[in-house]
Amino acid sequence: MSTPLDTPRATPRRMPVPRDPRRRWRTGSLAAAVVVVVVLHVLAFEGTEFRPARLIEGWEGMARFLAEAFPPDLSWEVLGPSLEATVVTLWIGLLGTTLSVPFAILLAVLGARTTSPHPLVYQAARSVLSFFRAVPDIVFALIFVTAVGLGPFAGVLALICHNTGVMGKLWAESMEEIDQGPQEALRTAGANRTQQVAHATLPMVVPQFVGLLLYRFDVNVRSSLVLGLVGAGGIGLLINQSIKSFQFDEMLTHIIVVLVLIVVVDQVSALVRRRLAA
Amino acid sequence: MSSLTMAAPILQTTALSVRGLTKRYGGRTVLSGVDFDVRYGELVAFLGANGSGKSTTLKCVMGLAEPDDGGITLDGAALGPLRGGQLQAARRQAAMIFQKIHLVPRRSALDNVCAGALNRIPTSRSLIPALFPREIREEAMACLDRVGLADRALDKVSQLSGGQQQRVAVARALCQRATIVLADEPVSALDPHAAERVMALLHDLAHSENLAVAAVLHQPDLARRHADRAIGLLGGRMVFDTPTRDLTGAQLDELYQPDRMDLT
Ligand SMILES: Nc1ncnc2c1ncn2[C@@H]1O[C@H](COP(=O)(O)OP(=O)(O)OP(=O)(O)O)[C@@H](O)[C@H]1O
Ligand SMILES: [Mg+2]
Repeated sequence: MSTPLDTPRATPRRMPVPRDPRRRWRTGSLAAAVVVVVVLHVLAFEGTEFRPARLIEGWEGMARFLAEAFPPDLSWEVLGPSLEATVVTLWIGLLGTTLSVPFAILLAVLGARTTSPHPLVYQAARSVLSFFRAVPDIVFALIFVTAVGLGPFAGVLALICHNTGVMGKLWAESMEEIDQGPQEALRTAGANRTQQVAHATLPMVVPQFVGLLLYRFDVNVRSSLVLGLVGAGGIGLLINQSIKSFQFDEMLTHIIVVLVLIVVVDQVSALVRRRLAA
Repeated sequence: MSSLTMAAPILQTTALSVRGLTKRYGGRTVLSGVDFDVRYGELVAFLGANGSGKSTTLKCVMGLAEPDDGGITLDGAALGPLRGGQLQAARRQAAMIFQKIHLVPRRSALDNVCAGALNRIPTSRSLIPALFPREIREEAMACLDRVGLADRALDKVSQLSGGQQQRVAVARALCQRATIVLADEPVSALDPHAAERVMALLHDLAHSENLAVAAVLHQPDLARRHADRAIGLLGGRMVFDTPTRDLTGAQLDELYQPDRMDLT
């Protein structure tokens, strides 16, 4: 014998949902945000003289340019120097990344709230990092060119400066984010601040550090290209020269070589990062 | 040297003495007038509901929280008047073990244990584990052996089970040469078997190495089996301090009664 309670209910139970007092407020603020974004875009279109029609009118100029660029000049007189300069670009990116590591670590440790010895030191380190980050590497390159002359060395120095600022900030943030437990444990064991950083904080953030380092290497190789445009050596310099002398087919060769370099660097750093994550 | 002569816990001297400990957080009193002693050669369990002030008590002893009132004496040294280096030297007698273990997972068990000795190694020789002096590494090895993990010394901590990790943390406390070990819920994250093993280890360290051990526990059952004494905290006040064999169900009921004031 079965009683009605033994079988599931035929109709599911329902219950009124309470009125959410924040809902109207949320709808209002969303509408306001949309309006603000739209207004900002209108202003930006004006400010940048954004006229798609002009692009269509001027398509002939671009077509002429491309026609001259194709086919790329793949003769050895062009390709040889192009490869050489590309390798220099790679070296600039490499040294600009690795040589900034000690400065970035030092400033990150001083500029992370969890490891900084004093609030004043923290503020000072953060200010230095902000300064190096705020000044674009191309500006550093122009400055160093006046000191050490045209060439890749100026590019390396420029990247060291800018990259110290970016990497130091990212590292400081990853040190602030990790679990503070191991550091606290060593503090209670009587380890001094340097020892706490060396044996708890830094070993805890190695994966994040290496990931960010590879990412910055990737970015810096691309930046060193642009630095070449202002005379800091590498393939950027050749691209600049071939544009100025209207050798567009040479320019295309350089660009293809650069493309290969960037794809290779990107793939290698992605591969290493995957390995580290596993 | 003193550990040899004191190996048998016949004469129990006071290792940690807390008097009138009071702690307020933003006007709210979370500890008021806590008094207790932990002697060498005994394991004392701290019992109490969530928020009763167990962790805060240990933190005040370790200097992780600043007491508002009261006195703490570690191994005969009153901490009150001490400052700077002297205070640190006195605190070094005590080691802390955490529920969340707080080892560095990417490093080997041995390197983590060596880190307990950092206060004895000059900074220049302690920047990377490879620079640790040999006698420290050998001492750390012996500490790992003491907790039964000598064979896992070179394994990364992340490859060890929770119970093994907690024993590595105990080894680190030993390598610190601490005579007083404070453990905040050392077995709350462990399965019953691993919890049993860690508690047996702490009991053994108290009784055969003559250490003073205080452990916060959430299982009165473990306290009954492994601890010599139990201290009950309720809303920041001590409500009992009795040998575990005299612990009654009524005392425990009082600690964990559901209608206590700070129920939130
Ligand atoms: N840093 C802090 N700031 C403010 N209040 C705190 C802080 N630490 C602890 N408290 C409060 O002090 C009281 C005691 O906390 P404590 O962590 O000592 O409890 P406990 O006995 O260890 O509890 P549990 O069993 O949950 O670990 C709690 O009410 C808690 O909210
Ligand atoms: Mg607690």
